[in-house]
Amino acid sequence: MPSDEQLVARCLAGDQEAWNDLVRSYSRYVFAICSQGYRLQGADAEDAFQDVFVRVYGRLGSLRNPEALRPWIAQLTRRVCLDRIAAGKREEPSDVEPDGIESTIEQLDEAFAVREALEELPEECQEVLDRFFCRDESYRTIGEELGIPSGTIASRISRCLARLRQRLEA
Amino acid sequence: MSNQHDATRGAGYAAGRTAAAGARLVADVARASQDSWPDATGVVAQANALSDRLEVLAEADADVFAAALVALATPSAELERHMQRAAALPLEIAEAAADVAALALVVAERCDGLVRADAAGAAALAAGASAAAAHLVRANLTVKPDDPRLVNALRAADDARYSASRALDAGV
Repeated sequence: MPSDEQLVARCLAGDQEAWNDLVRSYSRYVFAICSQGYRLQGADAEDAFQDVFVRVYGRLGSLRNPEALRPWIAQLTRRVCLDRIAAGKREEPSDVEPDGIESTIEQLDEAFAVREALEELPEECQEVLDRFFCRDESYRTIGEELGIPSGTIASRISRCLARLRQRLEA
Repeated sequence: MSNQHDATRGAGYAAGRTAAAGARLVADVARASQDSWPDATGVVAQANALSDRLEVLAEADADVFAAALVALATPSAELERHMQRAAALPLEIAEAAADVAALALVVAERCDGLVRADAAGAAALAAGASAAAAHLVRANLTVKPDDPRLVNALRAADDARYSASRALDAGV
């Protein structure tokens, strides 16, 4: 998976595939900020989502530190959401943020960092962690689906979590 | 919380809460063994996830059980649907409780000796909860003896009993 720095460089060079990757990488993040942070629903959330990526596309060249792509996108998303909320109330754009927005974005950042670190783990670790923690599957079901003795699943999960922690701390 | 609400909480709710308590005990024992056992951190995470899952299942079971009681008192076309749901949740509780017992066994075999009896106790609690939940699947009016839900619930209870037996042997 390319780094954000590489992704930005390729986008600025006009690589359409890189742009698709960037949108794919950040679409859930942007949508989560719109819907969970600012409670935008339905068409409002979708319009805000489109606005964010239009702005990202138009302003990517102004990003000074490509490694800071995620906080930059978060900032753009917050501005777009505030503008949309103000437009819905027919008010001037405001800087008044909803309560708890900082902790919501902190949690989203943490969740996305975990997701990115998870994607760097071997396939079998991704599979076993996803099945246990995200899909709530039992040890027996995981063992049967993956052809692994169910008595070893708990230890596998522990080892995979240790690797995930190493990635996050790296 | 009203008395009426409490009265609708049956054995499924109690089984879920008991297994959740067992999972929290497993987490505590693993946490106490972190200095001597590198995998303990991962076990704590799994035990916490199982505890959270079981608390949610217990609450959901109480709601479904209450709805089933109402449906039984005033039979309608909805009765079958309520009874089907009333069998699904105890099955999930039986399976999650079996996982708590399996995790407790792992802990009992590797934890600090001072807290090993607690890990064994957690396995026994989880096995009891799994057996109780499996019995609720068997007692459900819509479940026949060869129903896959019953087969799976009884298998989970057997797994839990086996794990608890081994954990108790390790815990002496």
